[in-house]
Amino acid sequence: MNVIRLTPACCLLIFLVVGIVLSDCANGFTEPIKKTSDEKPIDFERDIQPVLSRFACNSGPCHGKQRGQNGFQLSLLGFDSNFDHDAMVKQSRGRRIFFTRPEASLILAKPAGDLPHGGGVLFTQSDPGYHLLLRWIKQGAPRSQPGTPQLERVTVDPQAKIFQHNETASLKVTAYYADGSTRDVTNWATYQSNESPIAAVNEHGKVTAGTITGEAAIMARYSGHFAIFTASVPLTKKVPAEYYANLPRNNEIDDRVWETLKKLRLRASDPATDHKFLRRVYIDIIGRLPTSDEAREFLKDVSPQKREHLVDKLLADPEYAEHWANKWADLLRPNPYHVGIKTTLNYDRWIRGAFRKNQPYDEFVYDLITANGSTFREGNVTLYRDRRKPDELATIVSQVFLGVRLECAKCHHHPFEVYGQDDFYSFAAYFAKIGRKGTGISAPISGSEEFIFTSDKGSVKHPLTKAVMQPRPLYGEAEEIKPETDPRVALAQWMTSPKNHYFAQTMANRIWKDLMGHGLVEPVDDLRATNPPTNAALLNTLAEYFVREKFDVKKVIKFITLSHAYSLSSIPNDNNKIDTRYFSRHYRQRLRGEVLLDSICQITGVPESFTAMAPHSRAKELWTHRISSLFLDAYARPDPNQDPPCERISEPTVVQTLHLMNSQQLAQKITSDKGRAAELTKSDATASKIIEELYLSIYARYPTKKEIKVTTDLFKKEGADRRKITEDIMWALLNTPEFVYKD
Amino acid sequence: MFQNCDGITRRSCLQFGMGAALGAGLSDLMKLKVEASTSPSHPSARAKSCILIWLDGGPTHYETFDPKPDAPQEIRGEFYPIATKTPGVHFSEHLKRLASISDKIAVIRSIKHNQGNHGAGNHYMMTGAPPRIPVGCGAFVSFHPSLGAMTANERGHQNGLPAYFSMPSMTRSGGPSFLGAQYAPFVVPGDPNSSSFRVRDVALPKGLEQKRFDSRKEMRAALDQLPRFRDKASGDPVMVIDQYYQQSYDLIASPKAQKAFQVQAEDDKVRDQYGRNSFGQRALLARRLVEAGVPFITLNEAGWDHHGNLFPALKKRLPTFENTIATLIEDLDERGMLDETLVVVLGEFGRTPKINKGGGRDHWSNAMSVMMAGAGTPGGTVVGATDRQGYSAVERVLSPENFASTVYLKLGINPGKIIYTPQGRPAHLVSDHTPISELMG
Repeated sequence: MNVIRLTPACCLLIFLVVGIVLSDCANGFTEPIKKTSDEKPIDFERDIQPVLSRFACNSGPCHGKQRGQNGFQLSLLGFDSNFDHDAMVKQSRGRRIFFTRPEASLILAKPAGDLPHGGGVLFTQSDPGYHLLLRWIKQGAPRSQPGTPQLERVTVDPQAKIFQHNETASLKVTAYYADGSTRDVTNWATYQSNESPIAAVNEHGKVTAGTITGEAAIMARYSGHFAIFTASVPLTKKVPAEYYANLPRNNEIDDRVWETLKKLRLRASDPATDHKFLRRVYIDIIGRLPTSDEAREFLKDVSPQKREHLVDKLLADPEYAEHWANKWADLLRPNPYHVGIKTTLNYDRWIRGAFRKNQPYDEFVYDLITANGSTFREGNVTLYRDRRKPDELATIVSQVFLGVRLECAKCHHHPFEVYGQDDFYSFAAYFAKIGRKGTGISAPISGSEEFIFTSDKGSVKHPLTKAVMQPRPLYGEAEEIKPETDPRVALAQWMTSPKNHYFAQTMANRIWKDLMGHGLVEPVDDLRATNPPTNAALLNTLAEYFVREKFDVKKVIKFITLSHAYSLSSIPNDNNKIDTRYFSRHYRQRLRGEVLLDSICQITGVPESFTAMAPHSRAKELWTHRISSLFLDAYARPDPNQDPPCERISEPTVVQTLHLMNSQQLAQKITSDKGRAAELTKSDATASKIIEELYLSIYARYPTKKEIKVTTDLFKKEGADRRKITEDIMWALLNTPEFVYKD
Repeated sequence: MFQNCDGITRRSCLQFGMGAALGAGLSDLMKLKVEASTSPSHPSARAKSCILIWLDGGPTHYETFDPKPDAPQEIRGEFYPIATKTPGVHFSEHLKRLASISDKIAVIRSIKHNQGNHGAGNHYMMTGAPPRIPVGCGAFVSFHPSLGAMTANERGHQNGLPAYFSMPSMTRSGGPSFLGAQYAPFVVPGDPNSSSFRVRDVALPKGLEQKRFDSRKEMRAALDQLPRFRDKASGDPVMVIDQYYQQSYDLIASPKAQKAFQVQAEDDKVRDQYGRNSFGQRALLARRLVEAGVPFITLNEAGWDHHGNLFPALKKRLPTFENTIATLIEDLDERGMLDETLVVVLGEFGRTPKINKGGGRDHWSNAMSVMMAGAGTPGGTVVGATDRQGYSAVERVLSPENFASTVYLKLGINPGKIIYTPQGRPAHLVSDHTPISELMG
């Protein structure tokens, strides 16, 4: 393990729940460290660091923060023992330790409450932690002891357990050393639950389940190593096994989903109606609602394969590419004011081109990573015009394509991961030999041409050791870099290899989230042992399928949309209403801004007019977020100034409500003389025909008898204006959640 | 996360004034202990509202509140210092009106930080937290909730009006970050100095009469048939929409709210005093919003990045600009609102001591001046000092954290509070929650 010093530029993230420990840690250790260790030599890294971590001294809110606390700074979470030993023993002219009167040392007197301490009283003089520190000082506060074996791993026992409500269980954490010795470090490990309401954990590794159904991952960390315990809390009421055996199974996805439901005793919701399925697949695959005619066609179809036929038809529709490319543009497309307008346009075209020809995803990424050429000709080189430094490239490439967030490791060891600065800069070294010629970034215009090529110069240095780093993948094995070749070729091969599980999983998880409303891993680009999927077997199934189908994105979409799980109703039953992530029911999603706007244009029959776009262009075809649209701004498209990758906020806002209600532009669409409402009312259609048309185009369903009655009555009122009534009903339907949400 | 205190839940918490307690409810009780240990209310927590005037680009401290007449020519620049109403305190020559009301304002001359580019400097001053990764100059980043978004989160909306306004645009880091989109500022992009000015979407669209709108409303209520799942654990996102429609209907129907937007209804004399320009009328609109109960308004004023031609540019801009600010403060005072309204004027940093070849000053975060007035801020106060040549804050050196804590405390928000990201990760609202005691009254 590399030991890394904290640089001043490091994160101010306030890690961990360490705050908890501050106020309440004096109480009992049932099992103090072995008494015989009194005489045993104490090693700073092996014995003292765990004490500092255990009492959260080196945590983000305390001495682990960027500038320390009151001048006393430790490395964040104790990844740099040299630095920490220095801080305790030597800094401030050694005033923190008194060898002549060890008990009076500041590092003991403050946390023991003998002297005022901002972090409060952390332990008493009878605490084993106090004794360890005291004995260490008495031994001369050594940095290390010769022959101290390296810590190799920690395990937690048990690794998983199914809990009753309010049941408790004790974890045992064992440290394994290089010399084959082990230690019980249960009382020295720190614990964190990713879902405390489901299962909480205290500082002694005691897990207490709550009364909420679900699974929690509990991390036990000790000296930079961690192990994960999975707590499952099923519903209390048993469900007969036949229930699960009898659930419909369209493909392997259903097997995986039902397995999890069975474990948690959740029941699946009923299947959704045909019209809900219809609306979902249109939104999900081509990014708009079906027209009234399209809806009629599907709803009257009696073929048993009609769902599959529809999915195939939509996947073959040119709008598919525009919709999915639009999502990818959020992840890749930069600010044109930074890289230049032509460059941005080329990049956008390149992304769309890949989806139009359904380029296999591994090839798409390979072409992007190995891009060379002119920014005026090759769209994919824009990545390298936008991100100019190896460290910037390492961060975006690992996050977008591998779901690995390396940002932390740039400045200090990642607190929840195995990556340190060595790993970060070795990975960044793959981008060391990118040559650039032509006009660089000259914000705010950056209009000129630049060439990206493989250079024979360039290196990445470790910011502290200044060592030149050799390219090394984050995990697994990569091909050797052949002389005279760009290291990016080896990187792209390693990244897109079928053996690279994170690669397929990250994309599979993105697609799953788009279609199902919630990622198997959230956030979608943060895959790590300490942030486990809610259904790991399912994520594997999806990723394996993706690899087997040669990274064909359309195949994965079809796989998911034809599963029974996809077509479940969103309406919860008594049993599964508490489920928000195991997919026992469909989760409602607010439609994406582009989907809403394109659908409104289709419904009202009045297209939007965008600057810098051809007439009748759709919102999903926009090549930059700089093209102004009050509607898309209200519906939280990414800020054009924000650097990719951009995740959108899907929560509704009052601004959206106000816009849908009162926007002048929308009002004009509804009341336009050239619009659908005008057209319908000019025709000889009956009132109920008009209503049917509105319901099919807005909700993708026929109106119920009651709805027909209520609405046609409005037309019969004295003095009723046929056109105004049509417009008003259109406005009313557009302003209901049944329109704004995918249900 | 089932009991996440974001979104709908948090909003309903606020309505019952239980934000803090429920906020911690999502995880260990111990967190609550920590939260409770840093007790909130401060005797001078009396600001009902805050008007934050953001000078985007980083205003020079030399030519505003911290002139250095004794420095050599290439540092002191072309402007002369002038005496203010406060004995011994001098401002730069183009702040004549502010100098004449210096007894109503306080100036901090000694804020210093280490973020010398726009993206990072904005983030630090606007949120009280430095960006957690190095960011570029052009960056618009949001790692931490802004002052305005956090205030909106704590206060909730009043009289149907959104709690946080930003005009004419949001500042780079003025967003809600992980608090969620409902705390994003309500942006009013229009120019209130224009005769056709109206705040979009808050009133019925042109040509739609109230009667017809009412009947649409009725239709909507009758036709809205999508079932709602009322059990909170089911996390139905549609529930919040109902609240927003109610809030939107209230806003349209509230005479108080609608009146607030009608800057045209203001007396011509008052409009003239504020200045017949976009900034002047925006400041006037801000005052009207404060009257209507809006807790946080940011005026994002571009064009303070004077890398060149600083002196001619400021000579032209400062007089109208300071006139608006002085008018705003006096107007608030005359209306008896100054005691409950905090006015803050600042940018991301100060500017370099040596005048560059283009006759401008570049970015300089070692020293900057911030102006504050109202909400119990003792007038005539100058906090801290830079050295003789204005290179660096040297006396009473303060941080953006101290600044943010001061603003929060005045608004009755505990800067030491722990807030949680949607992933449940705790973060201090402000890492150093010591306010600037001289300004706390």
